[in-house]
Amino acid sequence: MATNPYRPLSRGPVRRIGSTVLIYAVLIFGAVIILTPFLLSFMTGLKSPVQFSNTSSLSLPSPITWANFQELFGPDHNFISPIAVTVQMTVVILVVQLSCSILAAYAFARLSFPGRDIIFWAYLATMMIPAVTTIVPLYGMFTAAGLRNTFWALVLPTLFGSPYAIFLLREYFRGVPDDLEAAARIDGCGTLRVLWYVVIPYSRPIIATLTVITVVSHWNNFLWPRVITSGPDWAVLTVATADLQSQYNGNWTLVMAATTLALLPLIVIYLIFQRQIVNSISIGGFK
Amino acid sequence: MTNARGRALRRTAVGYGLLAPSMIGIGLFLIIPVLVAIAVSFDSWNIISPPKWLGPQNYISVLTDPDVWHSFLVTAQYTLLVIPTQTILGLGLAVLLSKRLPGTPVFRVIFALPWICAPLTLGIVWKWVFAPTGGLLNAIIGTRVEWLTDFSLALPAVSFVSVWTQTGYVALFYLAGLSGVPKDIQDAARVDGAGEVGVFWRITMPLLRPTTFFVLATSIISSFQVFDTVYAMTGGGPGAPGRTDVIAHRIYSLAFEQLDLGKASALSVILMIGLIVLTVLQQVYFRRRITYDVAN
Repeated sequence: MATNPYRPLSRGPVRRIGSTVLIYAVLIFGAVIILTPFLLSFMTGLKSPVQFSNTSSLSLPSPITWANFQELFGPDHNFISPIAVTVQMTVVILVVQLSCSILAAYAFARLSFPGRDIIFWAYLATMMIPAVTTIVPLYGMFTAAGLRNTFWALVLPTLFGSPYAIFLLREYFRGVPDDLEAAARIDGCGTLRVLWYVVIPYSRPIIATLTVITVVSHWNNFLWPRVITSGPDWAVLTVATADLQSQYNGNWTLVMAATTLALLPLIVIYLIFQRQIVNSISIGGFK
Repeated sequence: MTNARGRALRRTAVGYGLLAPSMIGIGLFLIIPVLVAIAVSFDSWNIISPPKWLGPQNYISVLTDPDVWHSFLVTAQYTLLVIPTQTILGLGLAVLLSKRLPGTPVFRVIFALPWICAPLTLGIVWKWVFAPTGGLLNAIIGTRVEWLTDFSLALPAVSFVSVWTQTGYVALFYLAGLSGVPKDIQDAARVDGAGEVGVFWRITMPLLRPTTFFVLATSIISSFQVFDTVYAMTGGGPGAPGRTDVIAHRIYSLAFEQLDLGKASALSVILMIGLIVLTVLQQVYFRRRITYDVAN
């Protein structure tokens, strides 16, 4: 029996199984490299300092101890405060910034008025400004205004809208069908009601994506909070973790308990909204 | 007539009303700070006393400072270590993920995990991994290596962490790009006798060029601003000038450790101009390519 001349030899079943095994081997190797630092740092946070210095860093914690976490939440470190500050900061920025961005994006996408395009291009141009360039003048401005080391200092610079969010929302709002908006206008809706009842419901996917991007980037922000706050009152999680590490250098069980606390909330959110988040990474570059 | 003009006026008023909050925010906290940075870069300023006019002295002192050139060199070395590695690894992973074998979604979630975490916090976790005593890596290899205080190992170690963080993100980007490559062109090449390697280099890679370009441009721009990972892992060290003292870290220490805010601003303005030039070049190239593709 002649072999089928159109079937390439390289697609033989043995080779296909071989290449499948090879692909899984590489993917699993990659996954191990990614996951190992997470899992082993979580484990280290569950060890006592004595256990940590007497056993290998690779060994499982036995017995598991919560002492590091109790110490973190105790009066010396009071890690409740950085968690509360970070949550407050993130929520306030999310709600206000997203609202302001939605208003601006609607104006850019669906209204025509003189000056609109120039302002839009100016907004886009600000996306090229590196954060480290505005840090020094912002520090000077907030110090001069007497706002250093306050909650306002944490939220104000990004509160009133993000050029990036406005850009993404505008692209999406342009796709809202004109008929939908016209129908609402005929029913007597003003601009804000059109936004609330037509544009926002229609744009749920992009708003969800932006919610994720905003939460992640502000939860993780470090440079500005580092510069503009000092002491424990308004320290966010990243700042508190960095300070703990420099103060207790070498006390890795305590420090790894802190990094676990700082990482876990976002990881949980990530696992819940994984499909949404993975997709938004490839949509928007995520910054 | 008056009615139409009235409506146009109303639209303008509504438009600016909707833009008002973001114009205040972006004006006050992005545009004015840039102007202040440019102004301060011509001043002598230590935060405590008010800024004093100095002329171009800060720029001269920045450009003749060997430590600043050292920082540019370190940043370039970091970029050269990180970008090619993460791009090649990311592309490789994307090709494997694009086979859509069972379990692929789980791998996608795992590979993107570091990208959503705070670089600062991950930097601290990796400082432990690299720690000489009690660190994870030395426990695995069984010898004591001073990873982060060794002059030749510190920068590769920091670069490795950046690659570890960003490769999954690059892979997701390429995965999106790969899904846009038409299957029939690849199949046609196979029927013509091209091998898998030939199809990949001659068909897939050229079609992925826009993705490659975007990934390279954005990651080069962000690698010139790297700060948190360096701050957490090495604090710019070891040595003086520090082996991992990247530009953003130099600006930070000029401003907030040496309190020379004028010189810090001058360097930050130079960095901004460099990055703007890079971004504009990228845009111009992108535009040209797109019109070229449409014309065909």
